[in-house]
Amino acid sequence: MQYLGTLSGSSPVIRKYKSSAAMITGIVVLATAADASGQMSTSTTTSFAEALGLHIDLGLTRAVGGPTAYTTTQATIASDGEGIGSVIINPDQILRAHMVTGATGTSITSDTIVTSASNGLTAVGGTSVASPDMNEGMLWYLSGSNVGQSRKITSTSSVTATMIVPFAANAVGDTYCYAAQQIGIRGWTMNTALDRIRVDVATTTACRCAVIGLELNGTTDSYSQLVLTDMAWNPIGA
Amino acid sequence: MSATILVKQAWTQKDIRDSLEVKGKPKGRVAGGYIADLAALKKVILLCTSCTHKFNPGRVGFVREKEFPVCQGTCDGCSTYDTRCSWYLWEEGYHLVRSTASERRALQKSREKRILQGQL
Repeated sequence: MQYLGTLSGSSPVIRKYKSSAAMITGIVVLATAADASGQMSTSTTTSFAEALGLHIDLGLTRAVGGPTAYTTTQATIASDGEGIGSVIINPDQILRAHMVTGATGTSITSDTIVTSASNGLTAVGGTSVASPDMNEGMLWYLSGSNVGQSRKITSTSSVTATMIVPFAANAVGDTYCYAAQQIGIRGWTMNTALDRIRVDVATTTACRCAVIGLELNGTTDSYSQLVLTDMAWNPIGA
Repeated sequence: MSATILVKQAWTQKDIRDSLEVKGKPKGRVAGGYIADLAALKKVILLCTSCTHKFNPGRVGFVREKEFPVCQGTCDGCSTYDTRCSWYLWEEGYHLVRSTASERRALQKSREKRILQGQL
């Protein structure tokens, strides 16, 4: 995940905390539980509870060979120091997360219209949008007469997504994407690496944060913008 | 020896967490060496207005954050909490944690171009 700014427009507040585990870059970190070794731990795929903020230390990221240093070995700490990490802690920070599907975080799966709809109120594809349920999510076209257009999904049934605000008539072969993402929704599931958001999982109450914006592009470059709603500093939205 | 009076305090969770925060460079470390260590570990470096001109980020592969040129934090040079610190990030990993307006602008231009071509 990336830091995009704050709702208030204020400058980022960066604090350095002690790690309780090996940390990776660009993930939300949480306050540690009682008796844990440090001050922050990694989030999980289904929980942002008691979040401290976004971990931004670029030290030894996954991309260059491993997590930032964390150790409980006395000799290592004596020579290298303890594991610390920098965290942006603003309660109103806006984060930008890459939309992916699957636990490993692959590209969003697109679908193809198999039955055209002249009224533009339905998208009938080849895969189910009812399980996992994409109701209340977004659907946008990648090709055809509606390319670049998006609408809110208001109901789903099997392979059919229905909208209230119509698209232009679609045609067999048009491609589209859908995501269980909507403005104000407060539940996400993360990929295993904890740095991307899964849009193939129905809205849940998992990772508590609210979507404030969507960047609906192609299968590999679509993003959600969110604010954390269950922070250790400000657990009002929990 | 004078007597010490301990006054009971109602510490909040924020007080406790603030007190646990890493306070900057360890006692006895020279600032330059400590910052060189942070740079070697590719960690974020915060420097206050008094210290920032002493650091050459390009020499260690770092860039100064320009879109949000000011942050609040404890200076890694003089360990002073400053509301006008500069922050430096490791250049190669910058886009893992920062979304910039120029990047989003380029994405938007790419989007418009792809829509014109009929395939988003």
